[in-house]
Amino acid sequence: MGLAGMTICSTAFETLGRAQAKALGCPDLPLAIIPHPFGLRTREQVRRIASQCAEDIARIAREAEAPVGRSPTNAESPRGRRAQRIEAPGDHDGFNRYCRDRRWSDGLPHVPPTPARVDAMLRHTRRAPEDVVAAIAPAYGAATVEGIAINAVLAGCDPEYLPLLIAAVEALGDATFNLQGIQATTNSVAPWLIVNGPAARRLGVNGGLNCLGQGSWANATLGRAVRLILQNIGGALPGEMDRATQGQPGKYTFCCAENEDGNPWDPLHVERGYPRPSSTVTVVGAAGTLNMNTHAKDADDLLRVLADTLAHPTSNDYHFGGEPWIILSPEHAEVLKLAGLTKADVKRRLWEASRMAASRFAARDYARARHTRGPELGVMTADTQIPAAPTADGIGIIVAGGPGTHSVYVPTFGQTRAVTREVEVEAEPAR
Amino acid sequence: MTENSLILDPTAPGASAPRHARKTLGGLEGKVVGFIDNAKPNFHHLVDDLAELLVNRHGVASIVKHRKRSASIPAPPQVYADVREKCDLVITGSGD
Repeated sequence: MGLAGMTICSTAFETLGRAQAKALGCPDLPLAIIPHPFGLRTREQVRRIASQCAEDIARIAREAEAPVGRSPTNAESPRGRRAQRIEAPGDHDGFNRYCRDRRWSDGLPHVPPTPARVDAMLRHTRRAPEDVVAAIAPAYGAATVEGIAINAVLAGCDPEYLPLLIAAVEALGDATFNLQGIQATTNSVAPWLIVNGPAARRLGVNGGLNCLGQGSWANATLGRAVRLILQNIGGALPGEMDRATQGQPGKYTFCCAENEDGNPWDPLHVERGYPRPSSTVTVVGAAGTLNMNTHAKDADDLLRVLADTLAHPTSNDYHFGGEPWIILSPEHAEVLKLAGLTKADVKRRLWEASRMAASRFAARDYARARHTRGPELGVMTADTQIPAAPTADGIGIIVAGGPGTHSVYVPTFGQTRAVTREVEVEAEPAR
Repeated sequence: MTENSLILDPTAPGASAPRHARKTLGGLEGKVVGFIDNAKPNFHHLVDDLAELLVNRHGVASIVKHRKRSASIPAPPQVYADVREKCDLVITGSGD
C-alpha cells in the first residue's frame, strides 16, 4: 500500500495541474476543481464550494486510480540522453515557422541548432554532452550539457558562452533558488543573471552604460538562452505551466555584468566567497526593475530615499521575507564610499530604514504575512515594522551602469534566494 | 521547395512516461485523509469545511492537517513523513 494523492485546483490552474502531473509521470492525478478566484470568496461561498468539493472528492475516491509514491524527476541519472536529430526546413522562414509551430520560441527568430553549430559550442567545455547539469522545473526536464548548447545556439549565443550558461543552469537548479515556484507562479519573476570576474570582460558581458538595455550581444543572447532552456527543457510554456499574470520584459533576457571597476567595495563574487580571479554567475529571482533617480550627494540623504523606495506593501519581499536587490550606479556608490560606509554598512542602513509598518499591507496580505513571517517576527500587530529581508545581509547590492544619477531597485519573488556558481575555466577548444 | 536540414531537438528527451504505481481507494469509508494547505487565502477555511464534511458525510476515520508557510515553496520533509505514516489519501491545493 502507498499513499494516494489528489489535488484541489482552482479553474485557472487546471492547465498547470494537468501539465505538471503529466510531466512528473502521473498524468492521471485526480483533480477536484473549484472556481477561480477562490481567495476572493466570502466565508459562506467557501462553505457552498466545500460542499460540492467534498462530493467530488468522494466520487474520485470511489472511481479513480490515484497515483502513489513520491515524485521522481526526469534527471535522476547524472547521464542523460543525447538529443534527437530532426529534419527541419533549411530556409530561414521555414525553419522559424517550424520553431513557432512547436512552441520552441520566445517570439523572436532563431538560429538553427545544426550539429556543426552545437559541436562548435560543445568544444568550449570539458564536460560530456550527456552530463545532466540540472533538472529544470516544472517539467523537471534533464538539462544536459548538449541541451544547454542547443538552446544557446537557438538563442544566438557565441560558442564560448557555453561554460557560463552551464554555471547559470547549475545555479537555477539549486533548491534555494526555488525554480519550481518561479516557473509556475502568477508573479512576473524572471531569473536575472549577474556575471562577475574576468569572464565578463572576455565574453563582452556589459556592466556599464545601458547594461540592462539593448545592444550587447552577450547580455542579450545569454539571458535569452536561459529563457529558452526554461521553456524548452523546463516546459514552462506561457499560458500553460508558466502562469505569469503579465510577465515582464526581463523574461526575454535579463543579464548583465557587475561594473567591478566602478565598485568601491568587493565585487559580488568576492563577497560571496569566491576568489577574485574566478568568474561566477549569480541568478536572482527578479520581479522587475524600478529606476531610482536622485541627485543626493549626502550619504544619509541618499540612503533615506533609496530605503523609502524599497518599502511598498505589494512587494513579495515584504510578504514573505525576501531578498531585494539594489543596482547602485557608480556615482551613488561613490557617495556612500566617501562617507566611509562599507557595503555591509549600506546593507544594514537600508535594511533598517526600509522597515514598513504592517498596517500598510492590505488586510488579506497582512493576514498572510502574519502566517508567513510569524516564525521570524513573532506576534505581529499593525504597528510591527516589517523588514524586507529577514536579515540585513539579505539586501543584495551590486554596482553596475555608467555615469548618471540612476540606481535600480530589483524587487524579487520573495520566496527565492540568489545562487552563485563558478564558471568553468575554459579549456583550449578540443579538436 | 527548399531542402530540409538536420537540427538537434532543443527540448528535454523522454519527459512524460508514467512512472507511478496507481491504486483505487475504493471510497473514503474508514480512511485517514491528510491535507497540505497551500496557505493561499481561504484554503484553510476550505480544509476545515472539507474535514467536517468528509468525516460526517463520507465516513472518513480521521483528518490530518498541515499548512505550508507559503504556496510557492515545498512542504518540509517532516510533513511528507507524517502524511506518509498516517494517511491513506493526501490532498494538496493549487491555485488562487
